[in-house]
Amino acid sequence: MSRIFGIDLGTTNSLIAAMEDGAPRVIAMGGNHRALLPSVVAIAPDGAITVGERAIEMEPHLTVERDGRVSAVGFAGGEYGAVIRSVKRYMGLGGDEIAPEDRARYTFADLSGPVVRFQIGKRVFTPSQISAEILRALKDGAERALRAAGKDEKVERVVITVPAYFNDGQRQATKDAGRLAGLEVVRLVNEPTAASLAYGLNTQAAGNVAVFDFGGGTFDISILSIKQGIFEVLATNGDTHLGGDDIDRVIVEWLLAEIPDALKLDRHVWNSARMAAEDAKKRLTDVAETPVVVELPGHSIRKHLTRGALERMAEPFLARTLKRCELAVADAKLTPADIDAVVLVGGSTRMPLVRQRVAAMFHREPLCSIDPDQIVALGAAVQASVLMGMQGDMLLLDVVPLSLGIETMGGVMERLIHRNTTIPTSVAEGFTTAVDNQTHVDIHVLQGERELAKDCRSLARFKLGPIQPQPAGVPRIEVTFLIDANGILNVNARDERTGREHSVDVKPSYGLTDDEIERMLEEAVDLGEQDLEERLLISYRNDAEQILGALRKQLGEFGALVDNRERARMDEVVERLEAARIGTDRELIAKLVEELNEVTTPFAERIMDAAIKLALEKKSVEDLS
Amino acid sequence: MIECPSCGRPQQPLLICPDCGSPLAAPLDCFAALGMSRTLTIDLGALERRYHELSRKLHPDRFASSAARVRDASLRATATLTRSYRTIRDPVARGLYWLELIGEKLSENNKRVPPELAELVFEVQEQLAGMHDAPADSDAARELAAQVAQRRAQLQATMDASLADLERNFLKWDQRSDEKMLTLELKAILSSIAYLRTLIRDVDRALENSKAA
Repeated sequence: MSRIFGIDLGTTNSLIAAMEDGAPRVIAMGGNHRALLPSVVAIAPDGAITVGERAIEMEPHLTVERDGRVSAVGFAGGEYGAVIRSVKRYMGLGGDEIAPEDRARYTFADLSGPVVRFQIGKRVFTPSQISAEILRALKDGAERALRAAGKDEKVERVVITVPAYFNDGQRQATKDAGRLAGLEVVRLVNEPTAASLAYGLNTQAAGNVAVFDFGGGTFDISILSIKQGIFEVLATNGDTHLGGDDIDRVIVEWLLAEIPDALKLDRHVWNSARMAAEDAKKRLTDVAETPVVVELPGHSIRKHLTRGALERMAEPFLARTLKRCELAVADAKLTPADIDAVVLVGGSTRMPLVRQRVAAMFHREPLCSIDPDQIVALGAAVQASVLMGMQGDMLLLDVVPLSLGIETMGGVMERLIHRNTTIPTSVAEGFTTAVDNQTHVDIHVLQGERELAKDCRSLARFKLGPIQPQPAGVPRIEVTFLIDANGILNVNARDERTGREHSVDVKPSYGLTDDEIERMLEEAVDLGEQDLEERLLISYRNDAEQILGALRKQLGEFGALVDNRERARMDEVVERLEAARIGTDRELIAKLVEELNEVTTPFAERIMDAAIKLALEKKSVEDLS
Repeated sequence: MIECPSCGRPQQPLLICPDCGSPLAAPLDCFAALGMSRTLTIDLGALERRYHELSRKLHPDRFASSAARVRDASLRATATLTRSYRTIRDPVARGLYWLELIGEKLSENNKRVPPELAELVFEVQEQLAGMHDAPADSDAARELAAQVAQRRAQLQATMDASLADLERNFLKWDQRSDEKMLTLELKAILSSIAYLRTLIRDVDRALENSKAA
């Protein structure tokens, strides 16, 4: 059996990890050997797909030319292709469920159907198809990294993480994405739970742990009890539309407050402002104030953002996360004082205000010894090794985040499985007919916490039958609702009299049907083989371009740190790579990228030393003054 | 008898095949699923250890690379185990399940408020109605909210007393006292608890709303 890999399919960044010598490690990939793959997918008008850093460069934005002119670059959407970011915010949702701010961002083919579809040129893409491209890029990248390390290993079986608060449809859409990427999704794992595995593996922890997971697009809080290798989730809560993206949006609105609305909606302007906002937000983790500049054609926006002002903007979102924490702790039948450790997950937890508030809420300093960007992927790798039977007694007992029920008379939601029930779990419910000779019973499955069916999310509808014509109330059909370890619902029905299994054709209210997935897979196979070769070549070329660009920049700035002999060797490899890059021999490109990496490693180390020295000198000057 | 999905031998209804250790998806009552005798007083620590031990043997994560039949049996066996554990762990769920086992149930058409709670229920409902009608953000509304908050404490104390009654009733069952009398008593306690739960939920909602307003 092949090894199982762990994937964190994030709103902002995605990572792949695996166990190496008993410890989980993320797999760095690409020419720049980075672990984080930006979850950004560019689709050119001809259908060519690019994922990651290079896709960001294709995003519509404004750029300052050498002569000072500001011009628009990148794909703007519609017939010009598009760059999709934060696709996770659209996973498993119907058009009517998309938040207004997410609706304005792209062009959609259909906002009334059970699945949103992006319109890009003449082609239409579902969020699962776009996510599949991110998964493919991770798979390709990891396989190449493994090959470079001398291991000829395929990535075929994976664990993918999802926000704990994802509903059934969002989970199904994630599984579909895996299938479309040609992967076997052995298990979906909730992100905060995965993080607790990474944390627990390192510390042999015991006690009650709160995992506060505030990422780019989603927020989760999970409360776990860890006892002798059993990681038991007691309660979970969250919001699948609450994250750092929302804070960025408020900063953008502030940045663009004075410019005309028509210009504000321009995707080039908006994205440039978003990039500036995100950079400023990150800088304010370390400094108290920062200038923010957005260059527009013939005009530039120059403002100052202080940490205090940022915190006031972030406050309402943070308040929502803390409210969710209170609910989760209460659902776990604990008080904040019963929590022994708080683990922080997600880039948004880098904000000092977030750390302060979380510390105040739980009366203890949160742990951040594991990189909050990597901890989920590392945990996914731990779960993968549990699934391979390599973690002894370690076992995860997770819960279903939302109650599951059916619509009964008068449009009332009758709860069959309550939220925070440990999964897998099942419940059997008896159904009968209401009128004589009725041959079908309609069942409407719902998910949510509200009293009325119309306020809950419709999960699926199905017809029980055909039932033999009999007087009303005589037929007895037992329907079993089973939620598996992935948090996904399975339904089957049995005639209690005959013991015969009924086939249940569940029609999901949202999401793709099996037939649609099959069709997409067929299309993918048709385009497939040549696609794959081409895609690999493109991604190898991109790597080459990236490392060449980086080296050029470094030589410009730190050229003095290289002696002539070293420079000559570099130039020689650069020349060969430049030539190979135009050709189609991707193995050669990969080999030369590796070679250039090796040749330039000592140089990169010297740059790092110089930077550290510079920083230390500056600090000692500050100390003196 | 059921057939083990792994070794194929016929087995008694159990959750784990005694011959090969594979999970068996047998329909079992909650006590049998946990391998416990039918008693109502429970050592919660021992129960949890038993649940964890069985989870380690049955959970689908242990069979990720097994045949589909075995994976399916593991899924069903774990679902049965989990449901059983939740039922037995919670004293109210355990009491209700006990009634089911002995062929009784809290009658659904018995809408009569338990007599000892009648006065309390009436008063709380009056107060909630008053709170609902009082103009938002008025002194009257704040006064009523403060009274309801006091009620909340009283309701909780009554609930705690009922839960203690329940534990005493359980103990008597295990000492094999008069079953008929105990059944009546169990029903009365459980129906009080059901009423109190509804009341506490309503009070909490009203307080939450008044805080939000």
